Amino acid sequence: MNEYIPMQAEIVDIDIESPNTYLFTLELQDEGADFRYLPGQFVMISVFGLGECPISIASSPTRRSLQLCIRRAGKVTSGIMDCLVGDVVGIRGPYGKGFPLDRMMRDVVIAGGGSGFATLRSLINYIADRRDEFGKVAVAYGARTSQDLYFMQEYKSWQSAGMEVAVTVDIGDELWKGNVGLVTSLIDSFDLTPGSAAICGPPVMIDAVARKLMDRGFHRSDIYVSLERHMKCGVGKCEHCAIGPYHACQDGPVFSYDRVRDAL
Amino acid sequence: MKAFLPKDQLPFLLEELGERIEVIAPVSTDAGPSFVTWQGQPLDLKDKPLTPITEFLLPHKEALFTYVQEAGRYIFKEEEIPSRLLFGIRPCDLHAIALLDRIFGREPPDQAYFRRRRATALVVQNCTSPGRECFCAGLEAGPEAKDPCDLQLTDVGDGFLCQAETPAGILILNAGRALLKPALPEHLQEKAKLLQEARRAMPQDRSCSQIRQAMERADWEALGRECLSCGGCSFVCPVCHCFNILDLGVPDGQRLRCRDSCMLPGFSRLTGGANPRRTPGQRLRHWYQEKFEDIPQITGLPGCVGCGRCHLTCPAAINRVDLTVASRFVDDSSEARR
Repeated sequence: MNEYIPMQAEIVDIDIESPNTYLFTLELQDEGADFRYLPGQFVMISVFGLGECPISIASSPTRRSLQLCIRRAGKVTSGIMDCLVGDVVGIRGPYGKGFPLDRMMRDVVIAGGGSGFATLRSLINYIADRRDEFGKVAVAYGARTSQDLYFMQEYKSWQSAGMEVAVTVDIGDELWKGNVGLVTSLIDSFDLTPGSAAICGPPVMIDAVARKLMDRGFHRSDIYVSLERHMKCGVGKCEHCAIGPYHACQDGPVFSYDRVRDAL
Repeated sequence: MKAFLPKDQLPFLLEELGERIEVIAPVSTDAGPSFVTWQGQPLDLKDKPLTPITEFLLPHKEALFTYVQEAGRYIFKEEEIPSRLLFGIRPCDLHAIALLDRIFGREPPDQAYFRRRRATALVVQNCTSPGRECFCAGLEAGPEAKDPCDLQLTDVGDGFLCQAETPAGILILNAGRALLKPALPEHLQEKAKLLQEARRAMPQDRSCSQIRQAMERADWEALGRECLSCGGCSFVCPVCHCFNILDLGVPDGQRLRCRDSCMLPGFSRLTGGANPRRTPGQRLRHWYQEKFEDIPQITGLPGCVGCGRCHLTCPAAINRVDLTVASRFVDDSSEARR
């Protein structure tokens, strides 16, 4: 079978998360397609004629619909943003290694920055649905402005699932009553016992959060980071996402911090 | 099966084969020998063509599939792959194919590659007169073919000792049955002697671990200042296999796979503009690390076959064969700074 031939998926719903970011709900058209995924994995999505790009899965496998949170950034993502409900896109995957859930079933810190929060939403909803398998959970999320905060309507449900949720923005405005500052400052406010952590965001933010957590007693191999890399094939062949002997598309995108610290 | 083919009979063998299958052979051109479809042109079996045979397994541009829109859905089609015979490839090329087989064979196997690979017969010409740029002996990629192929040829003076290794190889020889003579023990002795001489003629200090040691001493940023980021080294390297995937055509068209190069500045650049390998030095370091550390870790074999094509093609004279990276600065820094 040609790995590069995608499945077809219909866009069945579009939610606006921010002015330049939409949440797409997709329905696979291929009957009997075996599409099982874990939080942290990604798909190659394509608009025929424009090309393909990697997008992490924003929904949790514990729920029925497959959702991708897409920010207008390049040619393909712009093409997807221009799609309407009912349009068909190509999907390959799921690819890569997600978060090692078995090793995270204790106290968890989840820290996201910017669009990196999309992949963490999958993990957060997974934990929310299987709450008794995890310990204390704290979510720290930062965006540039309050306009750029994703999934705002879900924070309450996470809190009622017993998670601590703290949000901050880089630049405040008159409508924003919450924190202004870096994600690392939110972590100071958490009452933590060292457990495991999941981080996704800009490299500088990942590094700063990981260091802060290590100061608080977390072991670096218990800190899992999801890395962004340029990808073309998704199956470890095209070499775009090579990080030393690892391919972010197959060995990642989730790595333990100690394996990729130098690549940040 | 062994046989002896007198030199003047070779074009007749190719003619016989050419009637059954597309034959790709090193043909003499103004720019030196080049692998092209053979249609009676004069052959050049002396020098190794600069462009590697990778072109016939991982073409510079190929359609992974075509897409056709119909009632809001898409129909995908794959094109037919032609059967081919690659004639006169070198042991280094063959070793590169063995490496690509391992790289593209990792889960999930790359069927776009293997469809071409399975439709390709391989006839190798052992290297009795290696070029000045060659160092395959140190990397155990030559001068004698060691990896699976269909037929091995060795120029033993007035003709070729032919050794078929597979049923396909026997069929190739059978196509030219009338042209062949029996192989004699002298031919085998001559082959062993010539290849021993070829091995000795090459630098002996170019093993994977020796090059790795040189890499530790290399000043990558200094090398990077001379690198033009042209990607030439990776487009002539038979092991390099970076590619890009892009679409051509709306609403119907082709999803193309095109060769790419990690030496080009935008290769690893992310959407937001951040680039994990910004400088030419970082990219050069990555290129060597890939060949001498990462591919060995992934496949168990060095990711370089010692063909020296990168040296021949580099306009900044960086990947020269008479040096490992560091000796440019350790041994002949005066020449390098000229």
